[in-house]
Amino acid sequence: MKAEVKESIAGYNEISRELEICRKYGIDYTAQKGKWKTAVERLHPKRLQLRVARIIKETDSTSTLRLVADSGYLPPFQAGQYINVFVEIDGVRTARPYSISSPPNQIAYYDITIRRVPDGFVSSYLLDRVKVGDTLESTGPAGNFFYNPLNHGKDLVFLAGGSGITPFMSMIREVTDRLLDRKIHLLYGCRSKQEAIFHEELRERAANYTNFTYDLVISDENVGDGALTGLLDADLIRNQIGDVSGKTFYLCGPQEMYSFCIPELRKLGVPERRIRQEVFGSPSKVHLDPAWPKEIAPDAVFTAKLSSGQKITARAVEPLLIALEKAGIAVENSCRSGECSMCRVKLLNGKVFQTSSAKIRQSDRQAGYIHSCAAYPISDIEIML
Amino acid sequence: MSEYDVVVIGAGNGGLTAACSLAQRGMKTLLLERHNIPGGCATSFCRGRFEFEVALHQLSGLGTADKPGPLRFVLDNLGVLDRVEWVVMENLYRVLIPGQLDITLKADREAVITTLQEKFPDESDRIKDFFDLVYKFCLEFFSMSRDPNANPETYPTYFQYALKTTQEILDQFFVNPLLKMAVSVYWGYVGVPPAQLSFSDIAILLFAYIELKPFHIKGGSQALSNAILEKYYEADGEARFNCGVSKILVEDGRVTGVVTEAGDTIKTDYVVSNASTLSVYTELIDPEHVPDSQLKILGGSTIGPSALTLFIGLDCEPAQVGIDETTNFLGTTTDTNKVFSSTKKVDIEDEYVLLTCYNISDPDSSPPGTSQVVIVDLKYGEPWLEIPPHQYYDKKYELANKLLDRIEKLFPGFREHIEEIEVATPITHMRFLGTPGGAIYGFDQYAKDSNMFVSPRSPIKGLFFAGAWAGMGGFQPTLSSGVAAARAVLRDRKKKAEVRE
Repeated sequence: MKAEVKESIAGYNEISRELEICRKYGIDYTAQKGKWKTAVERLHPKRLQLRVARIIKETDSTSTLRLVADSGYLPPFQAGQYINVFVEIDGVRTARPYSISSPPNQIAYYDITIRRVPDGFVSSYLLDRVKVGDTLESTGPAGNFFYNPLNHGKDLVFLAGGSGITPFMSMIREVTDRLLDRKIHLLYGCRSKQEAIFHEELRERAANYTNFTYDLVISDENVGDGALTGLLDADLIRNQIGDVSGKTFYLCGPQEMYSFCIPELRKLGVPERRIRQEVFGSPSKVHLDPAWPKEIAPDAVFTAKLSSGQKITARAVEPLLIALEKAGIAVENSCRSGECSMCRVKLLNGKVFQTSSAKIRQSDRQAGYIHSCAAYPISDIEIML
Repeated sequence: MSEYDVVVIGAGNGGLTAACSLAQRGMKTLLLERHNIPGGCATSFCRGRFEFEVALHQLSGLGTADKPGPLRFVLDNLGVLDRVEWVVMENLYRVLIPGQLDITLKADREAVITTLQEKFPDESDRIKDFFDLVYKFCLEFFSMSRDPNANPETYPTYFQYALKTTQEILDQFFVNPLLKMAVSVYWGYVGVPPAQLSFSDIAILLFAYIELKPFHIKGGSQALSNAILEKYYEADGEARFNCGVSKILVEDGRVTGVVTEAGDTIKTDYVVSNASTLSVYTELIDPEHVPDSQLKILGGSTIGPSALTLFIGLDCEPAQVGIDETTNFLGTTTDTNKVFSSTKKVDIEDEYVLLTCYNISDPDSSPPGTSQVVIVDLKYGEPWLEIPPHQYYDKKYELANKLLDRIEKLFPGFREHIEEIEVATPITHMRFLGTPGGAIYGFDQYAKDSNMFVSPRSPIKGLFFAGAWAGMGGFQPTLSSGVAAARAVLRDRKKKAEVRE
């Protein structure tokens, strides 16, 4: 529309004048450069540079790395969240998510507590080669396993298995340190008392705070050593915590613990919304998953072709993300458990096995997108990064 | 160094349709997106057994095959119309102010009028007159936009009413404030209250939703984003995700390339930016290449609202907590100025809240026996900068809790059925959208900021914009803006080629 015609729209000239005035006394946006980015980054930085300030030996196989920020500032997190720690080991850049075991009220440092995984590539590196003063890079805190005051209530039961105690440690420390109005009952399943991480501190906190109860449950009856023995089954849970109604159950531990404990909780009549589980890495033996295609041998090796034309080898029982990392191909990642979708890639050809923990959007599933951290090649494949 | 005909920055609605349209016309196109997934606002995320829609509530402008709307042509031309499954909504919305107003309007002109007349018999005639005006205005507007010789004699209604405020017209027609509210709640989809919203905006919204009906998409807006990207790939378009842009290179007033955050330099004569005009002129282009006049233009506009959004998965059917409409506008007062001033505060006061329960229109929106509910409360981003980081989470839950208290009163039992709940604040929107202020509709959409007064064209040659910041916010406008930007690039290239000859 021509300018002179526009002017005949009732009110046009008044608004033009208004605009002129707004511009005359307008905002200098160049002065606000970086304003919004800074606001986001103090809560959700993409990367953190962390220095190892202390190494605390917890058990024979477990140590805590106390990490401080080079910048002096650590973003807040919700007890239960993790950071994904990047490492470069013998030329391979990879990462592992570790729950922060220190509480959010401790703003000077993050603790991550690492238990040695037999033949673990990253855990051995962090336990054996990292020294005080070394610098590690990580993502900002992330993850969806935390206490949500909107719907979790005030009566919480934690079921921990082995190194799955770490996010709970943060939650327990926060609730007791800050004297929060919440009740926690921890059932901690371990093979032996020696393997129980934080055992002494947990006992102490349970003795000092009436809103925290701690039961160590040793799976091997022969080494019970005065603790409860057995598995975290319906009977044991009922005996220890009584009525389940109104309680929210949190689970963190190995895959096998979830497959065992969740049906037990259902047996007790715990509704779906009262069961919260942490995703916890990739299964160590994916070929034992009931849905695994029997015809694929655990030692099968396939070829993954990238859209660049490059071909890499990909083992059936290894997440595709790791095959990519071993080949020196960087893919953004965070949870490495199938949940966060940062490592999403497109499968153009071939087949992958996806764990049930992989949370794929419906339209992604239809369009062939996979989360490479939770996808296992079961044929030669072609992917687009 | 790689070289492309066009680089598109950002894979939001406008960036996607621009890239797709350009690739389909043979342009060697590169789409760069800082996030790991296409869509911008048009996306979804998973929690527990739920997949939550982030932004789409009611898609306007689509229409049906028999009665097509403008967006249908846009999507059909891109070849994506049949790649997604559309869900039509029969109703516009329910408006609820406890103890004062509870009315549900069908997406049908006669039904809207009858329902309103039954509720407000004293203003029966004026209700009809109001909708007559809305229709007359819109029909004039549509024929006018195709008429090169538009003039006040041929289109008297348009010329008289376009720039009147919505409030003026509401006051002119109606007495009862509840009636005024019942016909104007869609202002929430623009973020400008009736006292400032042009009549043109509310009339077109009403007309579009009534005549063409509101739509949703199976699998949510992510399905549409994925479908457009798919067509883009089919047209040999290239895309890089997790790849932000740190610089747009300019020489002698002309775009020459972009630099990615990873440090790659890419040569190109054309950039279509889906990133905001604000970020482009103040952060991506070196200051010496940005004319003062352009900064002056930016300075006249203000950053629009963001939102406090609750994404909720219920472990029951909607009916069990009394939800029986997809789209619910929930208010506490008819004083829209008071409502609007609440959006500028962190705390919850008198703002309208939009509650969308997708399952009412599409039972597949969540697993059987559950419901997906999204609650949106428009909030400006600025006041959130005042919250110290270590109080952020407590504040976020405190506010969400207040909203839930309000919801619980209207839908008793709601809280007890919450299985998943995720709270997104303006900071969350900033994080994932990367927009100044976490703004979801771009700049405030006052009449003075519309394309009638502000040209979306850039003084820098080869630079074009798609998306809310250079036009209007919302799905239909942003999806269409990308195609318009692509057309502008092609026209410019053609002109350049002719000059060379």
